[in-house]
This record gives sequence, structure tokens and C-alpha cells, in this order.
Amino acid sequence: MSIIGLRVLPVIGITAILLTLTGCWDNKDINHRSLPIVMGISKLDDHYHIVLQIPEPSQQQGTEFRLVKASGATINEIVDRIGANMETQMDLLHLKVILIDKAYAESGLNDAISAFLRSHDISPKTMAVICDEPIDQFFDNIQQYSKNNGTLIQDFFRANAGWSPQVATSRIWELFRSIHSYTRDEAIPIIKSGKGTIVETRGSAIIRNGKMVGRMTPDETLMTNIFSGMDVKGKIEVMNSATVQIVNNRITNRSSIVDGRPLIKSKITLSVALLEKKGQPTQDEIKKELQLTLTERFNHVLTMMKEEEADILGLGQLFRNKLSRDELQKWRTNYLPNLKAEIHFEVFIENEGDLKMDA
Amino acid sequence: MDVVDKIINRLGQDSDFFRYKMMLSNEPVLLLGYQSFMSVAESINELHAQAARVNPSEHDGHRSRLMDSIGQIIEDPSEDLIVSLLLRGQLVIWFESVDAFVDFHPYSKVLSRSIDAPVTENVLRGSISAFVEDMETNIGLIRKQAASEDLRTQSYGLGPDRQKQIVLIYMQNLVIPNLLESIVKRIESNIGMNVQNLQQLSAVLGFSKWSTITKFNTTELPQEVERALQKGKVVILLDRFPFALIVPSLLTDMFAVENDRNFLIVFTYLTRLLRILGVLTNIIIPGLYVSLVSINPDMLRIEIALTIARSRMDVPYPSLVETLLLLLILELIFEASIRLPRSIGPTLTMVGGIILGQAVVSAKLVSNLLIIVLAATTISSSTVVGFHNSLSIRLFKYLILVLSALFGLYGLVAGMVVICAYMASLNSFGIPYVHIMKSRGDANG
Repeated sequence: MSIIGLRVLPVIGITAILLTLTGCWDNKDINHRSLPIVMGISKLDDHYHIVLQIPEPSQQQGTEFRLVKASGATINEIVDRIGANMETQMDLLHLKVILIDKAYAESGLNDAISAFLRSHDISPKTMAVICDEPIDQFFDNIQQYSKNNGTLIQDFFRANAGWSPQVATSRIWELFRSIHSYTRDEAIPIIKSGKGTIVETRGSAIIRNGKMVGRMTPDETLMTNIFSGMDVKGKIEVMNSATVQIVNNRITNRSSIVDGRPLIKSKITLSVALLEKKGQPTQDEIKKELQLTLTERFNHVLTMMKEEEADILGLGQLFRNKLSRDELQKWRTNYLPNLKAEIHFEVFIENEGDLKMDA
Repeated sequence: MDVVDKIINRLGQDSDFFRYKMMLSNEPVLLLGYQSFMSVAESINELHAQAARVNPSEHDGHRSRLMDSIGQIIEDPSEDLIVSLLLRGQLVIWFESVDAFVDFHPYSKVLSRSIDAPVTENVLRGSISAFVEDMETNIGLIRKQAASEDLRTQSYGLGPDRQKQIVLIYMQNLVIPNLLESIVKRIESNIGMNVQNLQQLSAVLGFSKWSTITKFNTTELPQEVERALQKGKVVILLDRFPFALIVPSLLTDMFAVENDRNFLIVFTYLTRLLRILGVLTNIIIPGLYVSLVSINPDMLRIEIALTIARSRMDVPYPSLVETLLLLLILELIFEASIRLPRSIGPTLTMVGGIILGQAVVSAKLVSNLLIIVLAATTISSSTVVGFHNSLSIRLFKYLILVLSALFGLYGLVAGMVVICAYMASLNSFGIPYVHIMKSRGDANG
């Protein structure tokens, strides 16, 4: 064989393999795919009921969306059935929010969450949200209010769009982690359709091992967000004296086991900016009030955690190197209720706004 | 048959070849030459004037002094030598009585343009004189620019009849010795090969035929040549070719021109960065479009995904086909605007850009976004330095496009790796293509 033959043949061979083995003919262009962005799930008598909100590109300005509903035995089966009836291919990769009916959340989400993670179709980054009213009703209300914004529920939870620090964030992979972890539970947001504003936040749900066991107010959710070190710019109303905005927060934790009881010492440093004040409180008064308010809130969250045996702050993570695996297994039942927490809030008023403090 | 008859036999049928018998200081002579190279009447006047200066009174040795004074006596005249002199535009005088030839430098006609601004490279701030077809002028321009006693020129006649002249130029003290040695060796061993174009020259230098990246960096500007010489490269001038060929051509030549250094250093680096971005844009964007639209739409934000979906409604073809379709049209516009006379160019731009672009969208053949993508591609394909480099870039774009259509973003990255690997595999005379050459012996670095 000639030199040229030796060089050309492999090239032809590789090209042939490239063209025949890639399966690229199965790719569908974006306009032939349906990209649902919200999936609502409820469960009634062992039957799932699923609502998909699918944005519909239209020639006019804006994006309308349509709602597709179906019921069935498993989630994937339902989605498949919807896909078969659609004129385009169903593509769940853009799913941004999974809206879970409250009743279903209370009965346990484990099957659904593991189904989402098992199948490749859904991104693990999808947000899990609980709906405080029947799913169908929620979607019907939403459709009334927003004809032209197909992405509004997603925007509500997006950090660079409509998210606010009183809202918990929880991805389905985090839920999955909490189901299988001994030392961490999740708080997931609760919403319902609102009047005036399209969505209304209703605090967050405490999920323990995949089951909703309690709920927190938005203020308490802000507390947990601060504790988990998120960069929150939340506003806090200090009783009777002022309203401040958190501009910077830092937290340091130290954990130890004393007499078989877990002890956690935390120092939370908050830099705040003064937004509004009532009367003539001094800086120290505001600081003290703020410390008091926050400590109260924190203690309330902690009490709830102990009652429900749900570690939404992930405090057990701090004891991972101090307890054996067998002991960790009993973290929620034996250790968490006995946890002693010494939380110290250190507050700096970094900024008094454009007016002097005593003006 | 003596030499004169042989020459006349060989060249006599050319209509511009002349034989002119006359008396020069009482000596019968025959003038031979091409009238297209010289103005004959003035040359003969000059010849007479020179002959008159020789004192005719002394009979002894008058003839030899006459011959000496008008030109160079050709020792050992052979037919081939004289023919080659004639073809280079010399006037050859045959002294009939002694059968001797004298080589006379005539009044030559100007067969080149005068030195002018460059046609293919715009200079905004820097020396504007560009090379012309005449090799002597080009060498002169380089000598003037480089102004160095270390500048060496080496001339070779190539081709079956050794008529096509090429000149190697290098800095004696700076040139990379291996490079010069290998080039000289190649030229000497292939001296019989024709060099009418760069493909043939590349064959002479033994470069691979099927390379997709040029091995010659061409430039019209003496300034660029000077810098290349400073870096130890070798410059080749080809007769009747108004470009200097710099060997080796490296990856950096795609992004850097010497003229950049006539601006503040910040802008030098920023413009170079811009060119790199331009090349990346040109290579990546069409492939990125195809992979995002048909294979990895999950990488897009939902808003843009919906916008693209809306703009692609009713588009009949898959994204690869529509991209190829428009790219083909763009390549046609590129090619046509090179061919067209300058006066018709703007018409083409208008038809191609505005009318076709608008029509193709409203006819729903392609999506709006694709028009933007391809506009970006076309614009960025011209940011690269040198048209020869932009051709390579334009070709690589298709490799990425096809791989993206097959494998999505993964294919895009794999294509980039393939391109990088290919570039890394190239070398000319042992100097890798991706090598960055520092200027040698430059006092201020």
C-alpha cells in the first residue's frame, strides 16, 4: 500500500465511524422541544397527579404558557404519556421548580426525589418548593394573573431576579442528601398564589427525612439563612426602635461534647446599615435590641428543631469528627434534643444612612 | 555556426527582439536586445556618447579601450550566458571584427509601479511604503529600513533555465544558523524546479503540500521584514512578487504585527487580545450555535432558550443545515468581493448584507439569531493578521461546526483540542509553529 493510502484510509475510517456511530440524527432542535419549567406534583390514593407548566413561544411578543395535567402511577410514566401526546419532544432539562403539594410533602417525598435523581432527565439543581394550596388551584390562579411571563415562578426563586433572603432555597439534590444524611435536614420554601403579587411566600417547611414535619415563618427562615452563612442582604425589624439591613454576615462555630451532651458555641458577626428608626434610640440600644431579637428568634428555631428532631441548620455536621458513625446515626433522636447552644450575636452598625444618628 | 548566429536563431522569432548593425567609433558592431526592456534610441545615443570619450587617435589598443569603457567584456561567451543577459534586459554588443561581446547597461523602461501604500495591509501609524514588483527596489527598501552592515542577500536563479530569481535576506549575526543552512540546502538541491507561485516555492523548500496553515508569512511592509530579520528569521524575495516571504511563519504572526508597537504598549497588548478573541469567536460561534440549539439546549438560560425557540419557529431545516447554508452564502460573498471590480463592490455588499439578510429571515429560512451569529463570524474572521491566516481560520470553523453538530459542546471542545494538537504538530525547519520567537540582539529588548 502506498504512503498516501496509509494516511488517507484511517481518515476515511474515522470519518465513517464519526458519521455512523454518533446518533446525532436523534437530536431535536430547540423549537421541536417542549421545555417545561415548573412541575407540580400531588398524590392522591397512590396516584400521582402532575401539572407541567410549559412556556409556548409565540410569534407575538412575550411567552405564553400552557398547563398540561395528567395522572398516573409513576412520575416518569406520566411525563412520558404527556410527551407522547405533545407535538414536540418533552425535555425536562430546563425544569427549574418542582412544586409539591403540601399533603404529599407531609406524607413523604422519598420516592419522588429518588426518581428525579435516578433519571437523567431532571437537573439535580431544580428547586423544590411546597405549595400551600391545591396544585391545580395554584396554577389556575397563576394563569389568570400572568399571561405573558412564562418564567415567573422560576424568577421568584432566582438569586439574581426575585429571590429575597426570607425565602429558603433548596435543590432536589440537597433534599436527596437530607434524606440519606444522619446530620442534616432541609428547609424548603412554601408559597401560594397571591393577590396583587402573583406568588406569596409563606415561610418554609421543615423537612425531616423527606417528610414535612413543621413550618417556619419568613423571619425564622432569614435566621437560618444567616446561620448557614449565605450572603443575605435581609432587613430586620428591631422591636420598638429601628429597622436595619444586614450588609455583611460572618459566622464561626465551635463544637464540643461535654458530659455526653453536644455543645455548640457560635459567634455571628453582623454588619448592619440603619434604615429607619422610631424615636431617639442610641446605637447601643439598637444593638442590644437587635441582639435580643435575633437570639430569641434563634432559640425559637432551635426549640422547634429539637421538638421535631429535624436538624435544618445542619448542626450535626459540626460533630461529624467528634462522634462515631453509630453515634451519628442517633444524632437526631439522642443528641439534637440535648444540644446546648451558646450563640453570641455581635452587631456593628456600619452605616447610619444619609442622615446622622441623632438627626 | 558561431555564438551570434545561435543566439539569433534562438531569439530571432520574438517580435520585440532587435538586431541593429551600426558603426561605433569606426568599429562595426551588432547590438542585440529586447526593445520592450529598454528605450533603444536613448541607449544608442548614450553608447555613442561613451564611445566618443575614447580618444580615437591612438590606434593601438583603441578597440579594447573602447570595449572597456562602454561596458563589461564578457569573458568566455557562451550562448546560454548571453541569452540570460538578454532576458534580464541587458543590451549586448557584438564586436564583429574580434568576435567579442560587451554587456551594456541600457536606458531601461520602467516596468514596475512606483513605491506606493500597501494594498492588503493598512497602516495607521507607521511607515507606509510597500514592496513593489521590482526586486531591486524591494531589496533597497529593506536595506534602507534595516540599515545594518550585517544584512546579507543571497541570490539564486531557479527554474529549468535558471531565469527565475529569488533572493534570501538575513542578518548575518542574528539568523538562526540551522534555519539558514536548511533553506540554502533545499534551494540548492531543488534549483531546477520552477517557482512561479508560492505552491512551487513551497515545493522547493520541501514543505508538505496538504498543510492547512501557511508556512510563509507574507508582508508588504519593510518594517515587518526588519522585525523578522531581528528575530533571526529568513526573508525570501521572489522576482515580480510584491510581497516578502518570511520563513518560518508562527502562530504569533496571526495576532501580532510590528506596526502594533507604534502605539502605546497598553494598546499593543489590548489589540492583540482583541485579535485572539476575534479568532476564537470566528472558530467557535457557529459551532456553539448549532450545539446549543440542537444538542445542549439545557446549557442556555431559559429566557434565551425560549427566544431562540421563538425565532426558529417555522424554520424548516435543522440548525446544521441552516448554518451551512448561510455560511456558504457568506463564503460566496467573500470570494465575490475579491473578484469584483472595486466600483461594483458596494453593490454586492448591499445585496449580500442587507437585502439577502433581511429576506432570508422574513422568508423563514433561517432564524434571526443565526444572522447575528454569522455577522459576528464574518466580522471576526477579518481581525486576524494576514489574509493567508484568515483562510486557515475560516477552514477550522467548519471542523468545529461539524463536530459540534455531532457531539454538541463536547465536540466543540474536542475540535479545539484537535486544532491545538494540529498546530502543535507543525514545524518548519525544526522551529515549532507554536514557538514564540524573541527578538535577538535588540538592545532595548
